Amino acid sequence: MQTLIQQLINSLSVASVTILIGIGITLIFGLAGIVNFAHGEFLMVGGMVTWFLVSAGVNFFVALFGAMIVVGALGFIVERGLFRFTLDRPMNGFIMSIGLSVILQHVVIRIFNEVQKTIPDPVGQVWVIGGVNIIAMRAIVVAITAIVVAVTYFGISRSRYGIALRASIADQDTAALMGIPVRKYVTGVFIYGSLLAGLGGALMIALFPITPFTGSVVIIRGFAVSLIGGLGNVGGAVVGGLLLGLVDGLSAGYGSPEWTDAYSLVLMIAVLIIRPQGLLGGTLGPRAS
Amino acid sequence: MEQAVSPTPVTRTPNRADGKDKPRRFDAPNRLEIITGIIVTLFLLGFPWLNPGYRILSLSITTAFTAVALYGLALQFGQAGIMSVGHSAVMGIGAYTAAILATKLGVGFWVALPLSALLSALVAGLIGLPSLRVSGQHYIIITFCFCALLVIALTNGGSFTGAATGLDVGSIDPIFGISFDRLKNAYYLVIVALLLCIFAYYLITNSSYGRTLRAIRENEPLARAVGIKTGFHKIGVLMVSGAFAGVAGILQAYYLHHIAPNLYGAFPSLYLALMVMLGGPRLLYGPLLGAIIVNFLPEIMHLDPIDSRIAYGISLLVVILLLPGGVSAGLLRIYRWVARSVNKSDRHDRA
Repeated sequence: MQTLIQQLINSLSVASVTILIGIGITLIFGLAGIVNFAHGEFLMVGGMVTWFLVSAGVNFFVALFGAMIVVGALGFIVERGLFRFTLDRPMNGFIMSIGLSVILQHVVIRIFNEVQKTIPDPVGQVWVIGGVNIIAMRAIVVAITAIVVAVTYFGISRSRYGIALRASIADQDTAALMGIPVRKYVTGVFIYGSLLAGLGGALMIALFPITPFTGSVVIIRGFAVSLIGGLGNVGGAVVGGLLLGLVDGLSAGYGSPEWTDAYSLVLMIAVLIIRPQGLLGGTLGPRAS
Repeated sequence: MEQAVSPTPVTRTPNRADGKDKPRRFDAPNRLEIITGIIVTLFLLGFPWLNPGYRILSLSITTAFTAVALYGLALQFGQAGIMSVGHSAVMGIGAYTAAILATKLGVGFWVALPLSALLSALVAGLIGLPSLRVSGQHYIIITFCFCALLVIALTNGGSFTGAATGLDVGSIDPIFGISFDRLKNAYYLVIVALLLCIFAYYLITNSSYGRTLRAIRENEPLARAVGIKTGFHKIGVLMVSGAFAGVAGILQAYYLHHIAPNLYGAFPSLYLALMVMLGGPRLLYGPLLGAIIVNFLPEIMHLDPIDSRIAYGISLLVVILLLPGGVSAGLLRIYRWVARSVNKSDRHDRA
C-alpha cells in the first residue's frame, strides 16, 4: 500500500510537467489552430536556459522566470516569423514546425553539447508523512502546476479575453467584425503556450536530467495528453495528464517499466480512433487542408 | 476488367454510343517527359563510369534506397494527400522482416524481397486504418505514435529482434554469378530498384488510378459523393506506399549489414518527411531530388552532422515559406519561364 501511494505521489509530479506541456499544446492546437511540433523543444530550451543560469550561480526561482521569458520570446519570434504565414495552410505549418524542432535541437547541441544536464535540487528537503517520502521540490512543482491550471482555466472560461478568444475560434470573421483582434489573440495564445513550455522545462530540470533530445519524448506525451483530453480543453489536458501519470506510475511500480511509453501511446491511439474529439470533447482542431 | 469491378465515375466520362471518347487508362507521355526520363536513366546507370570514388558511390546507394521509400511517401502524400511522419517504421518492418528471415530461417535476399514488401504493405494498411476515422494532423500524430511504438517493441523484443543492438544481416546471394559485395554491383541493384519505382510512380500518377487519388486529395467528400470508394483507395495507396518502403528497408538492411531500432525511430521518419517536402511531393523527380539534396549537401559543403541538420531544418522552412511545391516545382517554374521567354523572343524575331 505504501509503495502504491509512493508511486502515485511520484507520478503526480511527473504528470504535472506533462500537464503543463499538454495545456500549451491544447491551447495552441485547439485555439490558435497551429500544430507546433517544436513545442517539446521549447520545453527543452527552457530547461537548458534554467541549467545555464543556475550553473552561473543564479537562484533557481529567478532562473525559472528567465527560462519563461526566453522561451516566450522564442514563441513570439516563431509565431511572427513563421506560423503567421501558414495560418490558412495548417499542414504546411505542421511540417515547418518539424523543421523548427530539428533546428532548435541541434542549435542547443551546437551551443552546449549532447551530455545530459542536471541541477542540484533547489529546495533539498524531504518531508516524511505517514511513512511516505515527499520530496519538497516535487510538491512545489505540483503546486505551481495547480496554480497555472486554475489561472488558465478561469482565464479562458470566465475572463473577457477568454470569451473573445473562444468567439474568434467559433467564427473568425464575425469575431473580427465585433472588433476582436483575432490575429493578436493567436499570437497571444502562442506566447502563453510557449511561456508554459518554458516553465515546464524549468520545473522538469529541477526533477530530472534533461538532454537535447528530451523534447521529442516530451512532445509525444504532450500530444497524447491534449488529444486524449480534447483539443482546446484545459480540463481535458489535466485529466489526460493525470491519466498518463497514473498509467506511468502503475506500470513503473507493478507492470513492466520498459513498456511504459507504449501504454500511453496505445491509450492515445485508441482514444483518437474511438473518440477523435477527445474524452472531454473540445474543438476538433484546425481543419486539415 | 477492374473498371467493371470498381467504377470510378470521376475519372470516366460517360461512354458515347459510338464508343469514341473513352476515358484513357493512361496518359501518353509528352516529349519533355520522355527526354528527361532518358537523361535521368542514362545518368543514374552511367554514374559509376565517372569514377566517383568509394565514398560518393556508397552515399549514392544510401540516396537511392532512401529515394525508393520517398517515392512511396510521395505517392501517399503528393497524390492522395495522406502525410505520414512515421514512414521509416514501415521501412523498418521491411528491414526487420528480411533480417529475422535471414537469421532465424536462413532465407536469402531474393526470397525475402517479396515477403518484406508484402508484410510492409500489410502493416502500412494496418497503420492506415485510423485514417478512415481521423484525418489531417490527427492522423499524422498517429503515424508518429506508431513509429515510437515500433521502436519500443523492437527494443524490447529480446533475442528475436536483437533488442537495442539490433541484428546482423549477411550479404546478398549472387545471381547469374554477379556478386553484390562489390560496391558497383550493389549500386546497380539499388538503382534498378529505384528506376522501377520511379516508373511505377509515373504509371500510377498518369493513370486513371492516379486521377482517383488526386480526387480524394482535393475533396474527399466530393470524391465519395461521385462514387469513389475513398476508404478503399486510401488504404490501397497506403499499402502500395508501404510496399515501396519495404523494398527500401530490405535494401538498406542488406547494404548496411546491420540494423538497429534507432534506424527506424522518430528522427529517420522526420527526415523522410523533410526530404519529400524539400524535393517536392507532386512532381516525378521531386523525391529523388530531395534525397539527393539531403544526402549530398553535407558532403559538398563540408558540414559536420550537427551543422548539416541545422541546414536541413532551415532549408525546409525556406522551401515551405517560399516554394510550397518543393525544389522540383521551383525548377519546373524556372524551366517554363525560360521556355516561354525563348518562345516570345522567337515570335519577336519572326514579326
